[in-house]
Amino acid sequence: MPRPAKRGASGASTPPSSLSSSPPSKPLYPAISFRSSSPSSSANHKESSVTARSSLLNVLTRPHHSSNSIKTIPSINQDNSSDEDTVLSDQSTISSYASSIVSGTSSTFTSNEDIAEVYRNYLEKPFVSTKSTIKHSEFGHCNNPNWRWTSQWNPDEPIHPSEEPHPPYFTLLTTYISYILLIVIGHMRDFFGKRFKPADYAHLMPQNGYAALNSDFDSFYTRRLKQRLEDCFARPTTGVPGRTIVCYDRASTNENKTFNLTGTTTRALNVSSYNYLGFASSTGGCADAVEASLRKYGVSGAGPRHDASTLDLHLQTENLVAKFIGQESAMVVSMGFATNSTTIPAIVGKGCLVISDEFNHSSIRFGVRLSGASLRSFKHNDVDALEKLLREVISQGQPRTHRPWKKILVIVEGLYSMEGSLVNLPVLLELKKRYKFYLYVDEAHSIGALGPNGRGVCDYFGVDPREVDILMGTFTKSFGAAGGYIAGSKALIDRLRLRSHATCYAESVSPPILTQIIASMGSIMGVAPPLATPPTEDDRSDSLSITSTKSRPTVYGPAPTYILPSWMKLPLNLLNGTEGRERLRRLAFNSRYLSSGLRKLGFIVYGHRDSPIIPLLIYNPGKMPWFSQLMLDRLGPDRTPIVVVVVAYPATPLITSRVRFCLSASHTKNDIDLILRACDEVGDLLGLKYGTQTMNVEEVIASAEELVSAQF
Amino acid sequence: MSHVLPSPMATAAAPSSTEIPAPLIPLLSSLSSLIFTIEHLFNRIPGSPIIVRYIKSSYQDDPWRSLLEVLLLGFAIRTVLKGRTRGEGEGKNFIKLTEKEIDELVDDFNPVPLVDDPTPADSFTLDTVPTIYGPNGIKVKTSPNGKTLLNLTTPNWSGFIENEKMKDVAIDTLKKYGVGTCGPSGFYGTIDIHTKAEADIASFLGTEASIIYSQAFALVSSAIPAFAKRGDIIVADRGVNFGIHKGLQISRSNIKWYAHGDMKDLERVLQNVERERKRKGGKLTKKFIVAEGVFENDGMVLDLPKVIELKKKYKYRLILDECQSFGMMGAHGRGITEHFGVPASEVDMLLGSMANGVATGGGFCAGSQVVCSHQRINSSASVFSASLPAMLATCASAAIDMLKAQPTLMTSLQANILIFRQALAKLEPVMPDLTGTFSANTNTDSALMPPPPIPNKDAVISIPSHPNSGLIHIFLLNPPTTLEEEELLLQGVVDEVQNTSNILITRARRLRAQEVFEPEPSLKICISGAMSKKDVENAGKGLKAALIKICGSE
Repeated sequence: MPRPAKRGASGASTPPSSLSSSPPSKPLYPAISFRSSSPSSSANHKESSVTARSSLLNVLTRPHHSSNSIKTIPSINQDNSSDEDTVLSDQSTISSYASSIVSGTSSTFTSNEDIAEVYRNYLEKPFVSTKSTIKHSEFGHCNNPNWRWTSQWNPDEPIHPSEEPHPPYFTLLTTYISYILLIVIGHMRDFFGKRFKPADYAHLMPQNGYAALNSDFDSFYTRRLKQRLEDCFARPTTGVPGRTIVCYDRASTNENKTFNLTGTTTRALNVSSYNYLGFASSTGGCADAVEASLRKYGVSGAGPRHDASTLDLHLQTENLVAKFIGQESAMVVSMGFATNSTTIPAIVGKGCLVISDEFNHSSIRFGVRLSGASLRSFKHNDVDALEKLLREVISQGQPRTHRPWKKILVIVEGLYSMEGSLVNLPVLLELKKRYKFYLYVDEAHSIGALGPNGRGVCDYFGVDPREVDILMGTFTKSFGAAGGYIAGSKALIDRLRLRSHATCYAESVSPPILTQIIASMGSIMGVAPPLATPPTEDDRSDSLSITSTKSRPTVYGPAPTYILPSWMKLPLNLLNGTEGRERLRRLAFNSRYLSSGLRKLGFIVYGHRDSPIIPLLIYNPGKMPWFSQLMLDRLGPDRTPIVVVVVAYPATPLITSRVRFCLSASHTKNDIDLILRACDEVGDLLGLKYGTQTMNVEEVIASAEELVSAQF
Repeated sequence: MSHVLPSPMATAAAPSSTEIPAPLIPLLSSLSSLIFTIEHLFNRIPGSPIIVRYIKSSYQDDPWRSLLEVLLLGFAIRTVLKGRTRGEGEGKNFIKLTEKEIDELVDDFNPVPLVDDPTPADSFTLDTVPTIYGPNGIKVKTSPNGKTLLNLTTPNWSGFIENEKMKDVAIDTLKKYGVGTCGPSGFYGTIDIHTKAEADIASFLGTEASIIYSQAFALVSSAIPAFAKRGDIIVADRGVNFGIHKGLQISRSNIKWYAHGDMKDLERVLQNVERERKRKGGKLTKKFIVAEGVFENDGMVLDLPKVIELKKKYKYRLILDECQSFGMMGAHGRGITEHFGVPASEVDMLLGSMANGVATGGGFCAGSQVVCSHQRINSSASVFSASLPAMLATCASAAIDMLKAQPTLMTSLQANILIFRQALAKLEPVMPDLTGTFSANTNTDSALMPPPPIPNKDAVISIPSHPNSGLIHIFLLNPPTTLEEEELLLQGVVDEVQNTSNILITRARRLRAQEVFEPEPSLKICISGAMSKKDVENAGKGLKAALIKICGSE
């Protein structure tokens, strides 16, 4: 956590006194230098693993469970009963896992192999008994009711940090130097390469009277900088992108120009896919519904919506989406990118002004360019800058003519996919009243992922969704489907149906995709009349939840039965909304836990703590491929691979290269522990803890619930 | 510079201290001692005398240069300090206003409503969009308990929508991959079946590689600007579809139009461009010809061999949109490259739709390895969008296998097209030569030469669509004066055939006022090879009767 002053104020976040007896934290790998940690050398692995294991065992603390609400997991309960036993207290939370598989044996882990053995089937076998038909590798089973949280705005917590965390100047300097070096070396290689190896540059030079397809200036970044990280991107995978993902192993012999598959695969913990609610699944109620739909409707929607490719299923989906969002009407489009790019031109045109956040998604910029409207942008999430800009554009009018703008449309995202930051919706709505602009909120990432009911930022902040003129979102992320939607007033949606490029010329959404949307969305909402009453709110975490001062709008009801297709049979846990509710609360806990934990470990982390997108700042471009590789070839004793996404310029500003974790409801708390341990390992090795570390990793893991409920 | 000059000044200040007011003396002395310290420190830097000497000599010789450099420095500082968003109260058009005035202007600001009131035409359009109850396919219902209609509106060339094998493939995929891919292809969204489908498409068409997009419309509007940039030249057919227009708009290239389907005009435009380039000189820019295989707006077929010849002659790259023709034309549905016997590798970027062609979803761009890998990084709809759902990709692979293995799919489609066109032939002003064009012909001259005119005084419609095209547009020969009336008349035909002959057709839907060149209203028909011959014949007869009834009595 880079702001130690604030940390002191939050008393609850410090670890409880029982932890003070644990040995002080030490660097896990004191002996290993950066160079010797080369993932390709197996000899070093062994050495580092041994060091890591012994020090890990030294700092292990007992699992911290403050209440007796853990009765659902007998194995952990046993641990608690023998609390004072030093042997057992040396076991970490992994012991709860261990004791469940190695039932009855309470032996200590003395060797690396033992820990490795415990983790051998970690990704595939659940350690709690479950009746669910969903595979553990796709959706982790986690029954502990303490590891839940409600995603809801706490007015006492700032939406944005008062100041951005800054890295040390040394880091900034080395980052700039790295880029300068890369650019200089790249240009030198180009210079000599063109002269001595012209064949390699043929596609960049004019040939036979054809201009080069790819200008060598435009592709410089791709060839000379991105290619060095090429292995971190577009890893081929197979299977479901759920809690875990199976990657094909690959190697390159020509400096990442091409990759050869080695023929083996690796199953890794997946913190990269936008699978917020864990609906990416090949089994379970939603998949069964999709199968039924495939039998009934086939695969394709084929033609455009207006040309008799509007199915009853489309209308049912749209009604359900409108109900889910809390708007009058909604429209679905077969691709998320195209939802923005074909809708914005139907709303604004010449003489209109679009004010866009500087970090808005490419599809929004694409749409604005198609629309012919003028574009101004403001500093990311800076409402003061926005107000200043609004005063300027309203008072100045259109350029040169000074006529007033026909419409001003402010486009923001609910949750920014690279920053993890939330839009300041309450203030925006205040500004909207004063400056009479129209508001377009792109909820591509926030829908399903935020809010106590999973209805996005409006739900999170407790504002009426109808105060926002246009709500856009995608089904790719939280719902495990594809495509996007636009929701708004009926008049607006009717206009869009007429003017949107997508309804007239683009293919309609496929029936199986629509079914996935209906099934997943319906299970988040629950279906009324309820077949079983949802559980009453007596969970511990609820007592810690924020009680809002003003009453929240009650637009978010369950889905009426008549909206769902009559042929769709959903299992009871999906119909009564318990499953959806559970998923929302697990995601909220996971997000807050990892975000808080990484801050405590001394990493610079951007974004809001309730955001399931957690960017961890790396800065130095040279550390990016190492981070990605070290997370995959884990050095820690558990040896569980983790796949991460590293992002750099141009997706982020030049210096703030980062790794981005996308959490999911499918992750268990043990998975998050694993990520924290892995980050701690790699962070120490690569020197990524740019902030001040206030807790060691075992303290963080032991005080997960306190961290989540704390304000800081 | 400051460190060089002050030393004589400091020494000069000391003797004349008597004339300076007393309170200033300590200030001046501390100033001079500070300057001395700075000078001393600077001199201790190794190599500093060289710098001093260099600066002294260079600026003595050239005072203009020092001025220029100071200005440059000032400019650099200003650029660095300037805000990231442009136009913060600058420019000569900016009017400085007081806060009070701005407040008043804000109060007065009265934007137009977000949504304008719907016109009668708008409600007419919305009300006439049919809804299919139950599955889409050859036979559909437009109301829950209504009668069954023959669907002539959905592109379903080989009947893949209802294909049981595709359903099985989709269910198998569901059990292995789930539904969505939950990520763009760069971030763990590249599944093995995407790679397989890409390889299948490339080998089917005979290109080096291909790349899959998750929507065909977005593919077209994003692939073009991935290659064509500002300053490049695009020569495009005036009849291209809306998606291409959007792509051209985004590319900001220099766009030249040639008359729809007119190869002579194309050559004229190419020559003009060449002449202009020679006159102006300048750097070689990228040049593209953009056209469609089967034109979405009227069903005409591009004279591909001629375009290939011209493109080679004038060194253009060809961007060919085969969203309609892929899966419909040629002996195996490879599109118009197969229809004309031109290798697909001659086309630089071949865009196709899997939603239209093989009834799954998404689109693809086939071409060389360089072309495809370029798009993986530079095409926004590929980079910034989630990848295609797994089951749509596997079904595309399965459909391609079927197209390869079953040439009857295409022959029955062509047979049905022929039956339908023959039924309507008597209404056309000139009897089209439908018999000679049935086989996939390589002899292009006979296919494209207009048949000898046989005047027909009963004509009410014209069908510019190619005799082999499953996509058929029917235009009125003597349309009413306004577009609205014409649309109304055509809707009358649509309603008539639905009521009397149980067939579902549609007007071609347009985005009026958003199109670059407003297409004429028309009826859009899609023939499927999976329809029975009797159905197609009845549909043709029914449509003929309706056309005569509604449009014939003028």
